Amino acid sequence: MKKVIENKFLNEKIIYHKLKVGLDLYILPKPGYSQQFAIYATRYGSNDSQFVPLGQEESIRVPDGIAHFLEHKLFEEEEGNVFAEYSKLGAQPNAFTNFNMTAYHFTSTGNFYECLDVLMGFVGRPYFTEENVEKEKGIIAQEIRMYEDNPYWRVYFNLLRGMYHDYPVRNDIAGTVESIYKIDKETLYECYRTFYHPSNMVLFVAGDVDVDKVIKQANDVFVRQPVKRATEEIKRIFPEEREGVSQTRVDEKLAVSRPMFALGFKDQDKTDGGDKLLDKLIANEIILDMLVGKSSDIYNDLYEEGFVDSTFSSNYTGERGYGHAIMSGQSSDPEKVATLLYDEIERRKCQPWEQEYFDRIKKKKIGEYIRLLNSLDSTSIQFVSMLFRDINLFDYYERIQTMTYDRVIEEFKQLYDKNYSCLSLVLPRE
Amino acid sequence: MRDIIIKELGKNIKLHVIPDEKFKTVYISYCFHRGLDEDYTYNALVPAVLKRGCKGYENQKKIGEFLEEQFGSRFNTGIQKKGERQILRFTMDLVNESYVGKDGLLAQAFYFLNRIITKPVQEGSGFRKDYVSQEKENLKNMIQAMINDKMQYSMERCIQEMCKEEKYARYVYGSVEELNSLDPDRLYAVYQDMLATSPLDIFVVGDVDVEKVEMLIKNSLDLDRAQTKLIPDTIIKKVGIKQREVIEEMDVSQAKLNIGFRTNTSFNHAEYFPLVLYTSILGGGPHSKLFINVREKSSLAYYAFARLEKFKGLMLIGSGIDQKHYHQALKIIMEQIKDMEEGKISDSEFTAATNAIITSLKVAKDDPGQLVDYYLGNAVAGADYSIDDFIDHIRNVALEDVIEVSKRVKADTVYLLSPKEGDS
Repeated sequence: MKKVIENKFLNEKIIYHKLKVGLDLYILPKPGYSQQFAIYATRYGSNDSQFVPLGQEESIRVPDGIAHFLEHKLFEEEEGNVFAEYSKLGAQPNAFTNFNMTAYHFTSTGNFYECLDVLMGFVGRPYFTEENVEKEKGIIAQEIRMYEDNPYWRVYFNLLRGMYHDYPVRNDIAGTVESIYKIDKETLYECYRTFYHPSNMVLFVAGDVDVDKVIKQANDVFVRQPVKRATEEIKRIFPEEREGVSQTRVDEKLAVSRPMFALGFKDQDKTDGGDKLLDKLIANEIILDMLVGKSSDIYNDLYEEGFVDSTFSSNYTGERGYGHAIMSGQSSDPEKVATLLYDEIERRKCQPWEQEYFDRIKKKKIGEYIRLLNSLDSTSIQFVSMLFRDINLFDYYERIQTMTYDRVIEEFKQLYDKNYSCLSLVLPRE
Repeated sequence: MRDIIIKELGKNIKLHVIPDEKFKTVYISYCFHRGLDEDYTYNALVPAVLKRGCKGYENQKKIGEFLEEQFGSRFNTGIQKKGERQILRFTMDLVNESYVGKDGLLAQAFYFLNRIITKPVQEGSGFRKDYVSQEKENLKNMIQAMINDKMQYSMERCIQEMCKEEKYARYVYGSVEELNSLDPDRLYAVYQDMLATSPLDIFVVGDVDVEKVEMLIKNSLDLDRAQTKLIPDTIIKKVGIKQREVIEEMDVSQAKLNIGFRTNTSFNHAEYFPLVLYTSILGGGPHSKLFINVREKSSLAYYAFARLEKFKGLMLIGSGIDQKHYHQALKIIMEQIKDMEEGKISDSEFTAATNAIITSLKVAKDDPGQLVDYYLGNAVAGADYSIDDFIDHIRNVALEDVIEVSKRVKADTVYLLSPKEGDS
């Protein structure tokens, strides 16, 4: 059965269809676009480091970085490498792994249906050998080294390690050079069997495509490569995260021109997903704009005093079971910046923003949402990432209009507590 | 997609409109061309100071409030290097008014950009002094921050070493020494010179009416000028090319190997199209010789690529490796270059590269920013290929043309950013 999700005002619609094997398929028709974009993603990321493997009783703890390692290895086929097949068709393939998902995607400007076959084919066909697993370790080790030298990346991951005691979000997505050397073929297959069943996955397609043909094409893949019906729920084990932050301050020295900082606030109010989480995301985006956005008092004060520059930015992350707000940038005096930000937060708790400011930021958010829909890849990735949190991205437009000032103020007072914050710094080496 | 429409507005101002109804935004960019001359640091500072405020929107807070009110229009100013030229850019990206039910967004965007460009907040006969001193510090920090991104830093250093006798070595954001002895009067004079003499291209992409756009610009743009300056052509170095090695040490865990080549070919040459294919076969993605041989076969690197600097006639190779594999990686890379010269290019490599280039060109049609970047390239080089023309030229390249062009590619500088002795 096809279901149509529509936003008439923005002239957009999405067609949803659930395949017999349990795969959720979404199609966003985009007439006039030269490219087609497809993303095939599984609810499996670096956070899923402890789980009960399919068909077993006992849970296992797998080496850090294995989800990302698996992503690299799926591109390998018995006859060689998937890149060659894509190249013949002229498509640009890629993949990524984050804390909560692994995704394989391509951009094509022709041969779309053949490319879709390649995508679904190789993701459904693992081929791990001792030899090809060993070979990948050198490549991923260099990827990890590259990130070790990247201060923007370090200041962020150090902050997560500072904020969280137990939750796996404190570990680097790619793992460490030590942890990836513990990965073997058997464990990779175990992770694959547990997390890569179509019923745990989503396929999202955007572009000027034929909806029925996409559905048929996707169904046919599972005729050629049959999968057993999913019989059990995946059992993931997450540690109970302790109260408060693990460290209030994390420093690292690197070859940088001047200090970088990231100030994080850990959210104590955990949400499991759905509309409640969507509202939380919207509320927090509005808060950050009013608190430290480009027209805020504190941003302009800090800027004019020379404490921050245009590299200053902020964002809120809200996932199932955890969330945090981060303000980051470069400064010659990051401790002073942190102090002034804490002061501003306390001041705003007593003297909240004007309603007018709130209304203006809502307009800004609506504009940002409309702009997102220009880009096929950003829309698709965002849609899938929201879906994994039981959120329909198309609801954003309506939820932002109904968001209230009081809800935003309540969220602000709840989240921004100095006792739940951590300051991460990357400092220049002498 | 309908083609680009180009109109002369007089006084060396060119309007480029790409009307396309699929876009939900309108992207506007004013691009002033300046030579990469002794004023290069001043050129970089001008857009940063202008961004701070203008008559009616005297500071960033007021600008921020205005943009929020316009449904989050994005506004930015900046500087780019295209060959031996700097482009000073003033960009606005706004939601198409038909999606938010508010008239006048487009008109206000043009009026706002005009104010930013032509009506800065003044103090005496120059810019506001605190804006200049603050932006001077910010620019200095930005120049020094080059070191933070090691991939970009090593590439930039390779170019600086390779072109040290040429203008092209100048860093896009200017130099710290120049900033330390900044003359505010000269800064204001450079700004006035930009208004009076710099060729200007205005790009507009979105679901717009060309006549309306032209009228809105004519009604808002307040530029009084007569004669504009010619910018000298970028010099393509052809003789005296010798391979040399530069090694620099830093506290890093991964070594970065960069190799700069002279291609003796720029965007305006007929040989440019085979050169684009050459570069793609060599290092333009997962189909390429570098990816397959440096990464997949030898596991030496996570990334290894080749790209062109199309206006200066350079090709640059970059890779992140373990220090102890330096000579091995360099040897493998140079073997690929030699194989290309000897015509060891398979049909599948050739086809994969052709397809990859065509795909990226077609994908650019779906992104307003990429469209402007492509057509700005035309404006810089004085070329006139639509994206479809470019695709046709790529399709017409034969394998022999690629082998022929490979003879023009000469290694110049091998640059290694190396971890310090004794470090991991």
